Amino acid sequence: MTAYNRKTLLLGAAIALAVGGIVSYFASGAPDGLEKAQEDLGMAEPAHAGLDAPPVVFEEYSLKGLGSGFWGNAAAGVVGSLLVLAVLLLVGYLLKRRKRPSPETDAA
Amino acid sequence: MHIGSGFLSPPVWGGLAVVSGAALAASLALARKRLDDRKVPLMGVMGAFIFAAQMVNFPILAGTSGHLGGGFLLGVLLGPSLGIIVMASILVVQSLVFQDGGVEALGANIFVMGIIPCLMGGAVRRLWSRPRPGWPADAATFLGSLVAVLAGATFVILFFGVSGALPAKVTLLEALAAMDFVHFFIGLVEGATSVAVVRFVVAARREAVFEVEEPALVKEAA
Repeated sequence: MTAYNRKTLLLGAAIALAVGGIVSYFASGAPDGLEKAQEDLGMAEPAHAGLDAPPVVFEEYSLKGLGSGFWGNAAAGVVGSLLVLAVLLLVGYLLKRRKRPSPETDAA
Repeated sequence: MHIGSGFLSPPVWGGLAVVSGAALAASLALARKRLDDRKVPLMGVMGAFIFAAQMVNFPILAGTSGHLGGGFLLGVLLGPSLGIIVMASILVVQSLVFQDGGVEALGANIFVMGIIPCLMGGAVRRLWSRPRPGWPADAATFLGSLVAVLAGATFVILFFGVSGALPAKVTLLEALAAMDFVHFFIGLVEGATSVAVVRFVVAARREAVFEVEEPALVKEAA
């Protein structure tokens, strides 16, 4: 990896982890815009059969077992950010890898 | 603005899954044709940052909060197709790991928070490619982000309406007013955040954002 890309990765990840792991602890717990609108309109309860993923490791944005305090939230922010980072790096890797080799590469 | 599970009817979430699936497939096909090496780590950290930033709910009006969407700024910095890939990845992780947004509503959420704002952000991308973007880029990014949030909010209510999820005594117009009123204020914060983040990333990573060498860009301006 080039020094340029390494710096992008390290600086970007540091900012993301600081926001997800620390800043997010100070987030407002009030319902968000959509939840508030649904409450005001009297449609907070689902009308259809839906599908929610089961809370296996994380309950909303807290690590199960650590509760909704600072560390439970920090774990969610750090793991979630790193998970998104990993998914996207994998997608990027696959997109570059599956690219058809150019004629020059074939000849070489 | 994540639509939870059980609010959309099967034809609505199914149709939107097809639409968003097709848009995601097209985005991946475009990215496969041409993907700059410097874009891959940028995509990754932008995704991680937007995920993290979405956890930061800020208070807005009494008893209501809002959080960043981020699709518009991704459209500006990465272009629409990479932006859509990043937003879709975030929304999938949020839905499957954090129970944020219904699993069956993923297509709808990708449409509202990914496709719409990423396409709109992509439209103002060129304004930032100049060496000194100046106020037109700021203004277009601020207003564009606000309009993208309102457009997304409007679509959510329309999807609820078609799904028959709106209570009988609420008219469509009342529902739109309630949703867009709150999201106007959220959109103002989204707009200011978009401008700040785009400015920062363009200043720090201009070469990766616009896939150019710095000297070539300077020559362009001359």
